Amino acid sequence: MNIPFFKYGLFGDDVSLVIAFIIGIGFGFFLERGGFGNGRKLAAQFYFNDLTVFKVMFTAIITAMVGIYYLSVIGWMDLSLVYVSPTYIVPQTIGGLVLGFGFVIGGYCPGTSCVSAVTGKIDGMVYLLGIVVGIFVFGEIYPLVSNFYNSTPMGQITLSQLFNIPYGILVFAVVLMAIGGFAAAEWAEKKLGNKIVEP
Amino acid sequence: MKNYFPKLSMNKKLALIAFVLGLIAVFAGNPYRGNSVTMDAKELALIIDKQADHVSSEELADWIVQGKSDFKLLDLRTEREFNEYHIPSAELVPMTELNEYPLLRNEKLVLYSEGGIHSAQAWMLLRAKGYKAVYMLFGGLEEWTDKILFPKLAQNATPDQTAAFEKMKEVSKFFGGSPQVGGTAEEISAKKLMPKLEMPSGTSAPTAGKKKKKEGC
Repeated sequence: MNIPFFKYGLFGDDVSLVIAFIIGIGFGFFLERGGFGNGRKLAAQFYFNDLTVFKVMFTAIITAMVGIYYLSVIGWMDLSLVYVSPTYIVPQTIGGLVLGFGFVIGGYCPGTSCVSAVTGKIDGMVYLLGIVVGIFVFGEIYPLVSNFYNSTPMGQITLSQLFNIPYGILVFAVVLMAIGGFAAAEWAEKKLGNKIVEP
Repeated sequence: MKNYFPKLSMNKKLALIAFVLGLIAVFAGNPYRGNSVTMDAKELALIIDKQADHVSSEELADWIVQGKSDFKLLDLRTEREFNEYHIPSAELVPMTELNEYPLLRNEKLVLYSEGGIHSAQAWMLLRAKGYKAVYMLFGGLEEWTDKILFPKLAQNATPDQTAAFEKMKEVSKFFGGSPQVGGTAEEISAKKLMPKLEMPSGTSAPTAGKKKKKEGC
């Protein structure tokens, strides 16, 4: 089997768009069903009331990681064909902080704001509008910020290359981190979550 | 022990499965394919047979004119030859440095050399190393020179040929070539002078990689 299918030319650009559409619909559907279209639920994780978001995201990460790892090890998948977005450590740290502040204040991340907007929530729509305006502004001021945007490049680097440890050990380490994280999340929900009463 | 697993909650079962898979991963090795090369002879033969291994000089010219930037053009000749003339947007990668040159396996690579032999050999090498989207310029730089830089129109050309030539003339001018009308082959070759390198202005000819297709979220 040749994975990734697109890179192996199993289908072309147009079919890939159709597939992306179907996957996108599915993604949005399950986000909504998981309660991710609700800003209160999303923001609740910052008060340790409800760490569903953390648990779902980390579960997705380790499921994908373990799946990709084993598919590659048995030779069904060429991992080198999977796109790794390049790291620019300083701009991405700042961008992450901006996103984090926005998440705490507004209750959505970009994906979940789309989910909430299409379910008719006004805050989600405002959020979406903000994203579009932000994209526009970024595009307009790009020449001014491009130096910063492209600063501290580290290339397409993965943790295993950065720390120079074997890939398999890293997989195990991340799994352990996730399991530890889940246990801590359950504990935090019970111990810390109840102390803050939801508005 | 026998009854231990079914008694666990769903979450704990999943966590246990993840733990076991993670533990096995420690010993399962590297997921990246290493230096060992596997060649699917039949697959390669099929690609060659279907002529899916090359692009024609017209196609390549078209891509450059259109400003396509989803491919990397690699010049396999020597530095001296490269400095004399190269196809706009090409990068110099002498054969000996092909192994170390940083290329992504999912990049579309177009190889060319003077004729077709070096690029064909490099094509084989890269395919065997797992580069999936490698193409060579059919006929190499020789054909590029004949067809793109100095297209000829014979005196007794059919209307179809003339129409095609008129189209090609624009392309040729874009690359700084000079289309030839009439005359014998000897006369034409005498007039050939490779275009200066700066001829196709950098504004329209993209440098590969600059506008690289964005991926990811």
